[in-house]
Amino acid sequence: MVILEDDRSQDMCPICKTDKYLSPNMNFLVNPECYHRICESCVDRIFSLGPAPCPYQNCGKILRKNKFKQQIFDDLAIEREIDIRKKVGAIYNKTEEDFEDLKEYNKYLETIEEIIFKLNNGEDREKTEAELYKYEQEHKLEILEKNIRESQKNADAHKYKEAMERLKQEKLKVEKQHELEDLEYQKQQQQELLDVLASSNSTASAQEIIKKQRANASKRATLRKEQLQQINSQLENQFNPIYQQKLLEQQLAASKVPFTPFQGDRDLHKQYSLLPIPTEIDKLMDIEHHISDSYNDPYLNKLAKSKEYLGAGWRLTTVYERALDEAFIGLGCIIDQEKRPQKVDAV
Amino acid sequence: MATELQESRPRSTPTSSIQLKYSKDRKVGEGTYAVVYLGVQISTKRKIAIKEIKTGLFKDGLDMSAIREVKYLQELKHPNVIELIDVFSTSNNLNLVLEFLPCDLEVLIKDTSIVFKSADIKSWLLMTLRGVHHCHRNFILHRDLKPNNLLLAPDGQLKIADFGLARSLGNPNEDLSSNVVTRWYRAPELLFGAKHYTGAVDIWSVGIIFAELMLRTPYLPGKDDIDQLDVTFRALGTPTEQIWPNVSNLPQYNALRVYPPPSRQELRNRFSAATEKALDLLISMTQLDPSRRCDSTSALLHDYFLEAPRATNPNELPQKREKKKPSNEDDGTIKRRKL
Repeated sequence: MVILEDDRSQDMCPICKTDKYLSPNMNFLVNPECYHRICESCVDRIFSLGPAPCPYQNCGKILRKNKFKQQIFDDLAIEREIDIRKKVGAIYNKTEEDFEDLKEYNKYLETIEEIIFKLNNGEDREKTEAELYKYEQEHKLEILEKNIRESQKNADAHKYKEAMERLKQEKLKVEKQHELEDLEYQKQQQQELLDVLASSNSTASAQEIIKKQRANASKRATLRKEQLQQINSQLENQFNPIYQQKLLEQQLAASKVPFTPFQGDRDLHKQYSLLPIPTEIDKLMDIEHHISDSYNDPYLNKLAKSKEYLGAGWRLTTVYERALDEAFIGLGCIIDQEKRPQKVDAV
Repeated sequence: MATELQESRPRSTPTSSIQLKYSKDRKVGEGTYAVVYLGVQISTKRKIAIKEIKTGLFKDGLDMSAIREVKYLQELKHPNVIELIDVFSTSNNLNLVLEFLPCDLEVLIKDTSIVFKSADIKSWLLMTLRGVHHCHRNFILHRDLKPNNLLLAPDGQLKIADFGLARSLGNPNEDLSSNVVTRWYRAPELLFGAKHYTGAVDIWSVGIIFAELMLRTPYLPGKDDIDQLDVTFRALGTPTEQIWPNVSNLPQYNALRVYPPPSRQELRNRFSAATEKALDLLISMTQLDPSRRCDSTSALLHDYFLEAPRATNPNELPQKREKKKPSNEDDGTIKRRKL
């Protein structure tokens, strides 16, 4: 780690010697491999074609462009520790709710701190890194699951925050509108009062009129307050996730009624069973040999073989099914059970 | 299967008692073959729409679509199919008394201020499929499914309406007209002039409506019949003998330009909000080969309806915004219906 002492060198890229003074737009990047500061254009120039060794003398670490990042903390030691924390935190990503008691959670945090310390201070660094890698491999699924859970929680929280924000805005809108209305009302009242006072001539009644007016105003104010409260509670219900949860539950309850595609109106038990009739085209073309033990109608067989009929989707089975359906159609009805007398006719 | 027989409606009521049963309040729309009035069923105070069919105009008697509408609606009773309450004739007219339904799905799709949640789309698709399933199990093809014909009741229920093009599957050798279904929702076998199609044509339309609900714009808007083929195949690939056996035997088959079928990733991009299950269902409803397209039963049993979110309750679905003069708006939506 190189810490540069004087301010001038702080502002100059040691590779291309570009000065911040002359090109104020320049940016410095560091790579978590060695934390050497290199300006952005040098990074582009050197690492665009793929991994390359660090251009600092005596460093020689192989760096990749996508790992370069902007330095956040002036002190590189802190920058470095934060990077390590991030890296370890991504692997040891359990939270308190994953532990049975606080003691175990604290133990877990302690191990994390130990690992970070070891990595940061170069104490058995390679060994710790290997252990970390091993842990990652062993707990890969667990880590991923936890990640997914966390991100979902964050999304929910985000949604909640958004809803609250909207609620606040709606409330403000209503309040503003009320204020405007009140102002107008006040003006109107004043005008009215002046008019009444001007037209009335006795002085005794003036005070009475003013009293009446005040009573009116206070009545209106309480009414207003009630209104506002009502609107607020309505809005809260609308945006409150708990309320929406309730709605969802209601929907769920409704869905417990089983779904019936035919609304129970379907004839599942036919009164007859159809003898086997071929439906494949090549069998139909040679139908005489395939219905030896089935119903044989030479006239219909001829139609069943017609290519034009076949092309239009016409099938022999439908004709037979229809004939049988119509023959048996009345058999399921018990006339006594029906209220009105039936008119039984073939379709 | 017994539902169609559960209630037989009065076929026609003598004219004299009609005035006591229904009131005709005001005219809300007029088309080439019918005038629609808004009214009230006196006994129940229920709002109704009376469709008065002009008879004098046609030399050959009643218009075909009126007959079809009466014929098939009389047989169907289902929460997701418009109810034909009564049929009666006055002097020279035939009157259909229908449920009054103030809105349709097209209005909602076009109203960009309404946001469709995926559960809403699921709910509408579910109700459409239930209605179609009921028609199909009674062997009736609707043949004109489109958002404009999916009407919405005030309680949010979706009801299939306009059975003017519907027909029952006839004898197996009978030819069906291929010139049915509004162009944008026409299945490829119809575009190729097939004369022996099946309920799969309705499923195709539902699939395209499903896509339209997600996109909020028509999925396959062809400018004319030829362009429709081009648009369809550009979106879903040109059918070949491999993916659709015997397609070349259809009367008006031509390969035009050959487009590759879309990859799943491409469909994902097209319907960015759709889940994988939604895409599965969409793909199976828009199979080019009608024999590979799913039927209404398997569509209803699809996992899409089981996965979260659950279909919205009909009474919680988005509805048309009330404007200052609701009465005027009613006029507008009713006029939109084909008369």
